[in-house]
Amino acid sequence: MLDQLASGELFDRVRGLHWPARRLQRGAFQGSHRSTRIGPSPEFMQYREYRPGDEAALIDWKLYGRTERLAVRQTHDDSELRTVILVDASGSMAFPEPGNDKWRLAVALACGLAAVAQNDRDPVGLAVVGAAGAELLPPRARLSAVANILRVLSAIRPAGATPLAPTLAALRGHHRIAIISDFLGDAEALREVAAELIAAGREIHAIHIVAREELEPRGLGGLVVDPEAEEGVRRPLDEAGLAEYRRAFGEWREALAGAWRAAGAYYQLALTGEPADQLIRRIVTPAATAATATAS
Amino acid sequence: MTWLAPGFLAAAGLIAGAVVAIHLIVTREPRVVRLPTARFVPARPVRAQTRRLRLQDLLLLLLRVLVILAVGAGLARPVLDPPRRAVARIILADHSRAVADPAEVADSVRNIFAAGDVVVLFDTATAVVRAAPWDTLAVRGASGAPGRLSAALVTALQTASAERARADSFELAIISPLAAEEFDQATDSIRALWPGAIRLVPVALRQTEPAAPQGVAFAGDPADPLRFAFDRLRPATDTAVGVRIVRGGLTANDSAWVAARSRVLVHWPETHGEGGSAPPVPPAWRPRARPDTIGGVGAGGEVVVAPFVRWAEHDVAYATSPGGPYRVVARWADGAPAAVEIEHGEGCIRSVTVPVPAVGDLVLQPRFRRLAARLAGPCDGDGAVATVDSARLASFMGESAERYVAAGELPAPALVRSTLAPWLFAAALVFACAALLLQGWGARRGGMAAGGDA
Repeated sequence: MLDQLASGELFDRVRGLHWPARRLQRGAFQGSHRSTRIGPSPEFMQYREYRPGDEAALIDWKLYGRTERLAVRQTHDDSELRTVILVDASGSMAFPEPGNDKWRLAVALACGLAAVAQNDRDPVGLAVVGAAGAELLPPRARLSAVANILRVLSAIRPAGATPLAPTLAALRGHHRIAIISDFLGDAEALREVAAELIAAGREIHAIHIVAREELEPRGLGGLVVDPEAEEGVRRPLDEAGLAEYRRAFGEWREALAGAWRAAGAYYQLALTGEPADQLIRRIVTPAATAATATAS
Repeated sequence: MTWLAPGFLAAAGLIAGAVVAIHLIVTREPRVVRLPTARFVPARPVRAQTRRLRLQDLLLLLLRVLVILAVGAGLARPVLDPPRRAVARIILADHSRAVADPAEVADSVRNIFAAGDVVVLFDTATAVVRAAPWDTLAVRGASGAPGRLSAALVTALQTASAERARADSFELAIISPLAAEEFDQATDSIRALWPGAIRLVPVALRQTEPAAPQGVAFAGDPADPLRFAFDRLRPATDTAVGVRIVRGGLTANDSAWVAARSRVLVHWPETHGEGGSAPPVPPAWRPRARPDTIGGVGAGGEVVVAPFVRWAEHDVAYATSPGGPYRVVARWADGAPAAVEIEHGEGCIRSVTVPVPAVGDLVLQPRFRRLAARLAGPCDGDGAVATVDSARLASFMGESAERYVAAGELPAPALVRSTLAPWLFAAALVFACAALLLQGWGARRGGMAAGGDA
């Protein structure tokens, strides 16, 4: 997938995609998303009775001709959507070894989503949380924003177990936040912060990265260790334990997806090995997200 | 079988034993695999696991042990012991000009020779013969060269050292008239290296004393440099001339002259012809396809060291011709004949292929002049043969010492090659490759599947 990024193939595949806002936005600048404000857009919103002081040019004279009532025609305004992509760079993303497929997929999704947001002329930024703490790239609409995101992500090696929730809380000033994580860290705290942001009108996308090797773990007969667990989880994995593992992991994934959706976020499961462009198409298309949510 | 460095074999055995012990005894912790979702694995006690013995593991263990043992055995340098005999003889058979009858030497060799003995034929040079030495003696006949006991003793010591693994004790026998000329200044010190007594089988000393030719006549170019190697040359018509040196081709007159009386006709062809003309090749010689350079030539104890270009080689077919063998009267540094002679009537014809350099002062140097005098000497050697005195003979034989020398008293050979070691290293390589293949096959087969080795 990083090869696709390097060659520009992924950007070619997501060219033309749009990532529309799921609700009316209240942006300060003109953009491609429908705003809650009344503006100069040609798209009709409502009529309002004429009040003294209104510009005469705004009066709908055709309506007056039919109804003999003076009414002012109001239209929607368009606004931009400041988008930030929050990427989890904890140690659990460096899996499986070798290859780090989870991290590679996360990078591809982050860059692809950033490119789609830039297609919509939305300012796009990055927040990546790794062993060294959080690194932020403020949202920018300039063309170099995606290249900067790719450069920052390429220099990072996933490690540590830094919580994401504080960083997410710091992003409350942005309209749309896409969280790319395996949610094996502070998932509960993260979801609580996300719920607050959603209540404040923010659009949250929870993109859950899962490796196929996590669904069917290797090393049967050996000890499995959690790279992030401070207390050092070392457990033997055998045939009987594998069945129990599958059940527990499946239940956790279902509970996680349900919790995110209940909080009002748009949840999307991303399995390693799936084409990144298809995942991006699923994330940015409201119908696809709704269909996935219904199916899951 | 003998191990030249048995310590390596012992070390290999210890390492192999340790490998087997580790394989059979060791317990190990299970493989550790990173899994971010390890928290969903049910918590159970971790147990150490013992390896289950599988056929594949046993084969791998066997191959590894074989690799270690083969390398250790190769480093230990095994040498196969030949069958040992109680006594082996080193027989020095003299066929120099001091021997009156070479057949007597051959008979003596036949009497004391047993299978496994080694015969060293010697005159000025030595030759080691291990089978049917009497046939070799019959072919070679008596050499015209004087014997050199020092060279023969050195060869005997080297041979005994190389053969020390084949016998418990050694006996050194000399079949020789032990003429005084066969001893030199190094003989006694070399003799002292043999720790036992020497068995002497005496043979008859040659008693003939040929009359020395009176004067030397030279037939050739007056400016020939060889002319200056002789002191006083006489005209060919002088009746007192006993030696005629011919630089060109021989004529019927020359042949009749030498056959009439006990004279010496030295056919010494010129080799410095101009225009690339090939020198005339004497009978019993043939030109070399590629002339080579040799560092010296010797005759009758006189040696000249110089870069001679050999242009002819003695045709060995003439040495065994029915007309009588040619006697070698001069040899090159590598033992090849440089001059031979054959009886002709009352006298003898001597063919010399020693090139006379046209430049330089070699012919004026005393050593070359002495060599030339030897080559112009009387037929069948110079007759200066005398027996060694009895005191020196007793000292040489060492009669007070034990005649049989234990093999352990002989110096060890400088280098003993183990012919088995390369094969052992090759076997180790094969075993190692097989172990790698088996290991790779096992890894592919087992792969990530599970738990096969637990």
